Amino acid sequence: MLDRSLLPATLATLLATAAGCYSLRPSAGAGQADFSPPRQPRAEAVAVPPGYRVELVATGLTFPTGVDLDDAGRIHVVESGYSYGEDFTTPRLLRIEPDGRITPIATGGRSGPWTGVTHHRGNFLVADGNVLEGGRLLRISPAGRIDVLVSGMPSLGDHHTNGPVAGPDGWIYFSQGTATNAGVVGRDNFDFGWLARHRQFHDVPGADITLSGESFTGENPLAGGEGRVTTGAFSPFATPGRPGQVIRGTVKCSGGLLRVRPEGGEPELVAWGFRNPFGIAFAPDGALYVTDNGYDDRGSRPVWGAPDVLWRIEPGLWYGWPDFAGGLPLTDSRFRPPGKRSPGFLLARHPNPPPQPIARMAVHSSANGFDFSRNARFGHEGEAFVAIFGDQAPTVGKILGPVGGKVVRVNVRTGVITDFAVNRASESGPASRVGVAGLERPIAARFNRDGTALYVVDFGVLLMSPGGAEPKRETGVLWRITRNQ
Amino acid sequence: MKKPGISFAILVVTAALLAGGCGTARRGAPLAPAFVPADPVVARGQQVFYAQCHHCHPHGEAGLGPALNNKPLPGFLVKFQARHGLGTMPAFSQDRLPADELDALVAYLAALRASPAPEIAD
Repeated sequence: MLDRSLLPATLATLLATAAGCYSLRPSAGAGQADFSPPRQPRAEAVAVPPGYRVELVATGLTFPTGVDLDDAGRIHVVESGYSYGEDFTTPRLLRIEPDGRITPIATGGRSGPWTGVTHHRGNFLVADGNVLEGGRLLRISPAGRIDVLVSGMPSLGDHHTNGPVAGPDGWIYFSQGTATNAGVVGRDNFDFGWLARHRQFHDVPGADITLSGESFTGENPLAGGEGRVTTGAFSPFATPGRPGQVIRGTVKCSGGLLRVRPEGGEPELVAWGFRNPFGIAFAPDGALYVTDNGYDDRGSRPVWGAPDVLWRIEPGLWYGWPDFAGGLPLTDSRFRPPGKRSPGFLLARHPNPPPQPIARMAVHSSANGFDFSRNARFGHEGEAFVAIFGDQAPTVGKILGPVGGKVVRVNVRTGVITDFAVNRASESGPASRVGVAGLERPIAARFNRDGTALYVVDFGVLLMSPGGAEPKRETGVLWRITRNQ
Repeated sequence: MKKPGISFAILVVTAALLAGGCGTARRGAPLAPAFVPADPVVARGQQVFYAQCHHCHPHGEAGLGPALNNKPLPGFLVKFQARHGLGTMPAFSQDRLPADELDALVAYLAALRASPAPEIAD
């Protein structure tokens, strides 16, 4: 037995060590790794439950983000054309031939990121994030003709136009991420690259809001770091907010979920108050679900410990951004970054009490594209299979262990999350981080029409350094997971 | 009574084990046999874990916070830390985490930690 006089010190020491001394430990994120091309992925490096099989379908892709199959069962993939790290390539819609050859169907000039694709009534619908000119929803014919169904989405900032998926009601659903991390334009947006391009760009709400008036003072990177400027919420950089100031809402808002008729026209706002609602899917029962990337510990208004979440959507509601995370107020001490103050509310009044999420996923994990199993032959019917891209620490904040680089399944009744496809390594994380030849950055997961095969889009290698993202071209992969009969 | 030097040595060794962990923190499918709670209390604790803990300790592995599965934390310490918080970990009040849910959570964490770790050749 320990000396009783040592008991308090013992307890404190044990707890402190168990807690991991967060402040003293360095960040150990998913992208804090080394990589030497070429990437040489192997299916054997990916673990799936007994009875399932992993295959490589295509390799050497550059920043792929979405997959779908046409009526003939032919596989089509979109390459983004843009990656964090300000790497511009060419967005492309590609067909993956049965022998693995790649046939380009359409290209998008310098208009990325294309963030997803769905095949609908003989054409392909593509979400074009277009960080240079604003987000769009595109219809692409099998011959490669591109028509614009929606334009003018506020996609010039941190997060982009996402989706689309076809709803059981005949409408096309797509989404828009926010311009900023937490409602205030700041130094972090300059570091992302877009503030220097679009100096007046900022978040816009989905309905009229009244500001609390809180503003944030910091350095001015647009003036070479000289002088200090004050910026308010939903305002251009260096523009303070005022208490009681009303910001007019718009359908094409930041952090919105929208729908439009398949032939185009004016979109409708379904719900808003998301941060980056990247993944959209309908469950077998017809309910609409969205994955939402939580706040980062960065910028003028950093937020600590905010999970990524899975929402079940109730039309017409506000889901909490920029004052709540996963249904909890940011004024709760759990969201206070170490050594900093808790975020205060930006809105004087909230449109509604925000809903509670169906599942809370790992902080900074970047829970992205997903789909529901709807075939007993594949198993886990009614569960959501979610691509977990993985953290981008230290840019998004410090993390003690890499998260992501996997596919999980979520029981939407219980909120329990189970790993489904992971790398064979002693810790979680992308292949380049954990030293194997498996999954890097899963960004989308989609079943084929009969639900017997799950396609996993792997964006490829994305390293993170103190200077930001370092994406690696021609490292993207398309995987397929099937169940043995 | 043991000598203070021996007590201190035990403390240091225990602290080092807790800080560093003992082997991989990975548990359950697909690297090891699936962890399916048979005990209803453990099953309840699993749901509490995914509602309250998973986002910082994903599946009991390291993430925003440290790994839990590979540290021999006794149940009373888990309860103490959950109620009082420590460092960056928030305290969970009775309102947010009722006593019966905390009991179930502790039972789940113990069962998960005791489940087989995967055999991985690094």
